[in-house]
This record gives sequence, C-alpha cells and structure tokens, in this order.
Amino acid sequence: MASASTKDSKIAVNYWDPLRDTDSEVLSATASTRIRRDLMTIFKDPPPGLFVVGDESDIRYVHAIIVGVMDTPYEGGFFYFILKCPSDYPIVPPKVKFMTTDAGRVRFNPNLYKNGKVCLSILGTWTGPAWSPAQQISTVLLSIQSLMNEKPYFNEPGYEKERWPGDVERYNEILRHETLRVAVCGMLENECHLIIPEQLKEIMETTFLQFYDLYMETSKNKIDLDGKSYTDPFGAGAVVTFEYAKILERLETIRGNLAKKHAIPVDLPLTDGEGSDEKDDNDE
Amino acid sequence: MKLTIKNWTGVATWKWVANDDNCGICRMAFDGCCPDCKLPGDDCPLVWGQCSHCFHMHCIVKWLQSQPVNQQCPMCRQEWKFNNK
Ligand SMILES: [Zn+2]
Ligand SMILES: [Zn+2]
Ligand SMILES: [Zn+2]
Repeated sequence: MASASTKDSKIAVNYWDPLRDTDSEVLSATASTRIRRDLMTIFKDPPPGLFVVGDESDIRYVHAIIVGVMDTPYEGGFFYFILKCPSDYPIVPPKVKFMTTDAGRVRFNPNLYKNGKVCLSILGTWTGPAWSPAQQISTVLLSIQSLMNEKPYFNEPGYEKERWPGDVERYNEILRHETLRVAVCGMLENECHLIIPEQLKEIMETTFLQFYDLYMETSKNKIDLDGKSYTDPFGAGAVVTFEYAKILERLETIRGNLAKKHAIPVDLPLTDGEGSDEKDDNDE
Repeated sequence: MKLTIKNWTGVATWKWVANDDNCGICRMAFDGCCPDCKLPGDDCPLVWGQCSHCFHMHCIVKWLQSQPVNQQCPMCRQEWKFNNK
C-alpha cells in the first residue's frame, strides 16, 4: 500500500513519525523552555490561518491546524498536524505528522503523503536546506503552509511544466473537492475519529461558520463536475469522483448542528458585519 | 581623571554587541544565561562567530557537536568559525 517513502532505505521507515517515536528521554531544560517560547511566539502574534495548542499531558507534543489559504485549492480547509519535539530540541527538528488524510486515503499535496509524512527539507524528509536551531515551530508550520499554494502540482520534482495540458487545473479541482469533502466536512464531523484538542475543535467550528457561505458557493459553482472522475496525478492511481451534491448536504447539516450548539439563528446570514469592531479584542 | 556624568541622553542602552537581544538557539535573552545554566555571567559565556552572530557558548557547542561535518552558523548558514579577537 504505502509504496512511497521507501527511498530512505538506510533509515528506519517511520523515522519521521511522531506517533511511532519511542524516544522517552527527559527533555533538556533548553528544549522545554524553547517549546514554550515557540508557542508563546505564535500565541502573541498568530500568523494568519495558523492555530496551535500544546499537549496538556506531554509538553513535547504540539497540535496545529493550518487553515487553507484563500485562492488556493485548500481554501477554508482544516489541516491537522501533530508535532513532537525531541529531547534535544532545537538542535534536532521536530517530527511532524499530517493527520487530515481521510484515514490514509488522500494525498493532499506532492509533499503531504497519505501516510502522514510531511516532505520538507528542514524536517530532514526532503532535499534542500536542512534544519537550523534558529528555526522554530512557526517556521515549520509556515513552511508547510507555503507548500499548500495556488499550484501545488509544481511542487513535485520533474513537474515544473504540465505533463498534459490542463493538469494543473485538474489537480486543483481534485484538491478543492477533497478539501471540502475531507478537510471541511470530514474534519467537522470528525469521521476519522481523530483526537483533536478542544480548543482546536472550537476554532474549526467558528471558522466553519465564518466560511460557510464560501463553502456553499464553491460547491454550487462546481456541481456540474458531479459524476466525473479525475485521476490524482500523485495518488498512485487514485481516482476522485466528484460529489458536490453530497458535500452541500453535509455542509448544511453541519451548519444546522453548529447553529443549535452555538445558539445562532439559522436563517441569518453569518458573514455580515465581519471585522466591524475597530478596537482590539484580544481578551482571549 | 574622574568624571561625573550629570546628564546623559541615551539613544540606545548598552547591550552585548550582538545581532539580537536573544540567543538564536535557546531564544533566551543575552543578559541571562541559557536554560541549562542557573546563573548568568561567566558560567554561561557568550561567543561570537566570524559571521558576527552571537550565541551562548553552551548552545552553539551543542549545535556544533551535533554537526560532525559542515558546521554552519544557525542564523546565516555560513561556515562557523569562532571569532577569537
Ligand atoms: Zn542560548
Ligand atoms: Zn549555559
Ligand atoms: Zn552567522
């Protein structure tokens, strides 16, 4: 199944995987201070679309959601990552696993494998500039965010040009659909039973309500694709069949449930008055 | 000669001549020590590279020991050489 990632034959197959990591060494004082500082940096001045929480029971773990950037095929999607900092962090980079894979079925990017491996040179999982201890958790997440760009097709080495005319747009169509199906509906329904920290769940819920009209509009605009199938150029033969009608139904259901939970009148538009308050509300 | 300064308008307060206020590795302030030490001062000296970047000695040594070949400054990735001036 997981045919990728066997290139690194001399290293253990899952050396990158924070959830299979057996390192139980005590963190150095530098490592635990650094992890806290790294998190504070993000809390104080959160980069757009990036949310992190420390693990309550084990400071070595950090949970992160990257919200797909506007005008990319990932827009409005919730991409969940788990990081683990090693005992000698920041001398050694964290290990990162991508969790939004529809239980190992979707490869969301040439650099984000469906087994959760994140191919990034600073993590030691890709060629290019290696880790430096001057980098930090936000650097890692921002680098991942930049992989999730407007035309991720070109991330793959050897794909600097389209192999077939229209490849870039077809790949984006696949990603847009899978973003709504897996990274929006799937994440809000938590159909894969991921253990996501409460704070991140709340962020997903409020962000979902803000983006709801956008999700609906995209799905309606793309509904003519329903029934068609595209082959994922990097999916080892995986075929995606478009089902926007189903996505529309799921979006409505999720919104209905959230509206009940957050006591929002269902018939009011949710995106009105966005950013109306001039004052800083940082009291959270 | 003895001077008494009566009035002084500082444009900048004196600090270690470093590129930043914090060690780029542990991110602690240079007027304190690295997190593995207890007391600032001579026990936890600062060192400079020829590239002019500055770190706690304990921090840069840990980094250099982890890099058997190709020892680079964490900040600018130039080859690391201690500035012994
Ligand atoms: Zn330091
Ligand atoms: Zn020290
Ligand atoms: Zn330097």
